[in-house]
Amino acid sequence: MAASENGTAQQWARKFPQIGTGPVSNRPCVSPEYFELERERIFKRVWLNMGRVEELPQAGDFLVRDVAVCRTSILLVRGKDGKVRGFHNMCSHRGNQLVWDASGNRRAFTCKFHGWTYDSTGRLIGVTDEPNFFDLKKEDNGPTPVATDIWEGFIFVNLDPNPKESLREYLGEVADHLEGYPFDKLTTRFTYQADERVNWKVLLDAQQEGYHVPFLHKRTFVKSFDDGIQDIIFHALDVRLFKRHRLVSAGGSGESPASNLTPVEALARRYGATTLAAMGGASYGGKKGSQLVGTFDFWAIFPNFVMALMDGTYFTYNLWPLAVDHTIWEVRTYYPQARNAGERFSQEFAKCGLRDPLLEDGSVHERIQAMLGSGAKTHFILQDEEILLRHNYKVVADYVGE
Amino acid sequence: MDEAVLPEKFKELEPFVVWSLPTERARNRKRLASSMAEIQAFYDTILPRGEAIIEYLNQFALEEMPMKEKRLFYLVLSLAEVANAVELFKQPGVIDGFDPERFLPMHE
Repeated sequence: MAASENGTAQQWARKFPQIGTGPVSNRPCVSPEYFELERERIFKRVWLNMGRVEELPQAGDFLVRDVAVCRTSILLVRGKDGKVRGFHNMCSHRGNQLVWDASGNRRAFTCKFHGWTYDSTGRLIGVTDEPNFFDLKKEDNGPTPVATDIWEGFIFVNLDPNPKESLREYLGEVADHLEGYPFDKLTTRFTYQADERVNWKVLLDAQQEGYHVPFLHKRTFVKSFDDGIQDIIFHALDVRLFKRHRLVSAGGSGESPASNLTPVEALARRYGATTLAAMGGASYGGKKGSQLVGTFDFWAIFPNFVMALMDGTYFTYNLWPLAVDHTIWEVRTYYPQARNAGERFSQEFAKCGLRDPLLEDGSVHERIQAMLGSGAKTHFILQDEEILLRHNYKVVADYVGE
Repeated sequence: MDEAVLPEKFKELEPFVVWSLPTERARNRKRLASSMAEIQAFYDTILPRGEAIIEYLNQFALEEMPMKEKRLFYLVLSLAEVANAVELFKQPGVIDGFDPERFLPMHE
């Protein structure tokens, strides 16, 4: 990590002069009216990540994802033709939720209410007591589809009935840059969920800057980076702001001195990538691919999806808003398939090693939201390294129109 | 009758078999419910054998581990779980952390 030097002070404001430097209103984090505008003008209009293709390997495999912010439940199915489709999880008859399980495999989906049946490609194939219906055309009455597409194995849906951009267009520079990262080799996935009383942007803010690391993570991150990290303010290696999405990249110096490794970490690192070490630059993949800018690249994909890439492992966040002060935080950490006990041990250490700092992160989320609710302060005071926060509030404001 | 619960080579770890737990949730709860003395005793006993345990278990296919080896495997996974308590926090849980009961592993 680069120590604070005169040359790097306010470097991002110089690179992005249009982003501004003044205080930023916190109203978008506490106003229920603003949240409703975000719901209609952002979440129902953009591409939202639902999961990954490895969750639906076989024909008939399905996932159900609750998307409360869009007031719906989405059913994703891999059809018998191999294609992944998304639908509102709703029977065409009288609106019952068609599938009540979170995942599974079915050749057909039968509504529990009156037995209407749909196939894995979204066709209505069976209506019970059909002669008693009036002019019912089955071919017009499958479940309502949602635009569904896949990029590098990530499944996205768009709740806009007529999306303005394809998924690839929407991702833009993110897709340009990240194509080729070995997502398909890092398919062992560990998932955590936290239900928090916090606005989704407050949660995202807490994660998308490195300023907090030497303080909030003084006990957990110390070993990943250079000696004495807890006393050094560090600045990002690079910041990139695009139309909607953004990147902050941190550059570790490489391998921690051997004396810095705790005993269990030293044991774990012999067998595989451990997340915090990878953040600091420990190398697992040999030659670094061109997709990595630093040792820890934090891509925030608007609005609510984060991909944090390292060499040999990555993790993602999905932030699911439920209300202005309520969000589900889903964390997924990815590793290569463990071939033996040693590799599995290193992954256990890696995920516990990531989980504990996430508990440090979580400790501030609800406290911030609680105090924002007091109205005692109306603005955030943001420094240069917190420019990603400014960017998100700007992009949100552009969508919301306020 | 064979009363052993762990492979013969690691018999001396049998007093710690309470740490042989199959899920992350169970191992984390055990860590948080234990005293630092209990955690330290487990850590101090198993760490010196860590490499030998892993090299021994690496001979077995992950999906086909016999019962005694599986118990040993869950035991060494607990070493990964308690590491931070001993090496970073000097207490069982994350200092001033978010409630771990609200940060749920969904993968098991």
